[in-house]
Amino acid sequence: MPDVAQFVENFVSAVDFQEQVTISAETPLADLPEWDSLAALGVIVMCDTEYGVSITGGDLKQCVVVGDIFTKVLAKKAA
Amino acid sequence: MALTLNNVRIRGIASCVPQSTISNLACAEDKRSERERLVRNIGIHTRRICYPWQYFSDLAKAAAEQLREALSWKREEIDALIVVTQSPDYLIPATAIILQNRLGLPQRTIAYDINLGCSGYPFGIYTLGCMLSSGGIKKALLLVGDKCASMSDPLFSDCGTATALEFDPSSSPIHFDMNSDGAGYRAIILPVGGHREPVQLHHLLPHADAEGEMHRDVDLILDGTAVLNFSIQRVPPAIRSLSEYSKTPLEKIDYFVMHQANRMINETIRKKLGLPPEKVPSTLQDFGNTSSASIPLTMTTRLRDVLQDKPATLLLSGFGIGLSWGSCILKSDSIVMPPLLEL
Repeated sequence: MPDVAQFVENFVSAVDFQEQVTISAETPLADLPEWDSLAALGVIVMCDTEYGVSITGGDLKQCVVVGDIFTKVLAKKAA
Repeated sequence: MALTLNNVRIRGIASCVPQSTISNLACAEDKRSERERLVRNIGIHTRRICYPWQYFSDLAKAAAEQLREALSWKREEIDALIVVTQSPDYLIPATAIILQNRLGLPQRTIAYDINLGCSGYPFGIYTLGCMLSSGGIKKALLLVGDKCASMSDPLFSDCGTATALEFDPSSSPIHFDMNSDGAGYRAIILPVGGHREPVQLHHLLPHADAEGEMHRDVDLILDGTAVLNFSIQRVPPAIRSLSEYSKTPLEKIDYFVMHQANRMINETIRKKLGLPPEKVPSTLQDFGNTSSASIPLTMTTRLRDVLQDKPATLLLSGFGIGLSWGSCILKSDSIVMPPLLEL
């Protein structure tokens, strides 16, 4: 069963933050200065390679906090 | 669709890029860190951009002339000239026909364009290869590439290439896997300028897009997430399928020359196929994404010493705009490769 803490760690690595940040599953994506199109690409690659799940740009647009992406990953894995 | 082509040999490849170079790291000091993050992720440091007086056809012509001379092919021996580009000199007529004249080729030359981008190289080899395969024509040129660089976009870079194909009954078969998915046509599109949406004055006015970047309707639209998902989902299984069809296990392939999209896409495809980096040459850092020219450019600049001197089993794979993706597996033998031409 994928673990949310591990997902957040993967998320931080995928976004490639310029400065160190503290992030949890509850962190709003809109609060992250690096949450841009490049970050979206990194997160899609991470979801594909780490979880075997295809997340679309439309999926990401529906997410408000970091944990929402993890919820999508779990839903797609279960489907 | 999986297909096999017989009696066709790649005799030579030449590439030509503009001398004019732009660095993706050239920016205002306060943007430095952001730019470095971008460059780190897309893997593209410098790109080549045509001078204002230069066009794709100029690069392709220079590559073609350099290659013809290196092969000692006479102009009158060239039976066909196929151009794969999405940056023609004019919407009509076809650039290949204009180049027939500019290259001094005989009027009996078969010349036409193929409108494909990043996937175009394997499709071009197949189309021209089919003409050669029956022996009706003996020598032909495939000119591939685009003028797609701009100052603002960090991905694209300009290049023209020439590939010489020859009828040769002793050559090994070339195996292909080629696919199209028009449902994804909006993923990369120039929406204005064709018959469906002719250019009007308001298309020339910049306006802010969803991310606040200024954009004109006459500029290319690229849906990055859609292109990424397409590339990493479709290309690895297509390559595995071709490997099975051709009975060539991936570990028997010496080099995988992939379209150079960006580092994220290329690295993900490489890892999904379990390929070692030394078997997957890259020109992204120096030349960026050169559209359909990226495969021959990577062959001529990264594998020149190897491919000129000895036989090799190669997998070539192009993917992108269309959506379109095609790969081929071939056994090369002493491909003539003049040094990179800078115009």
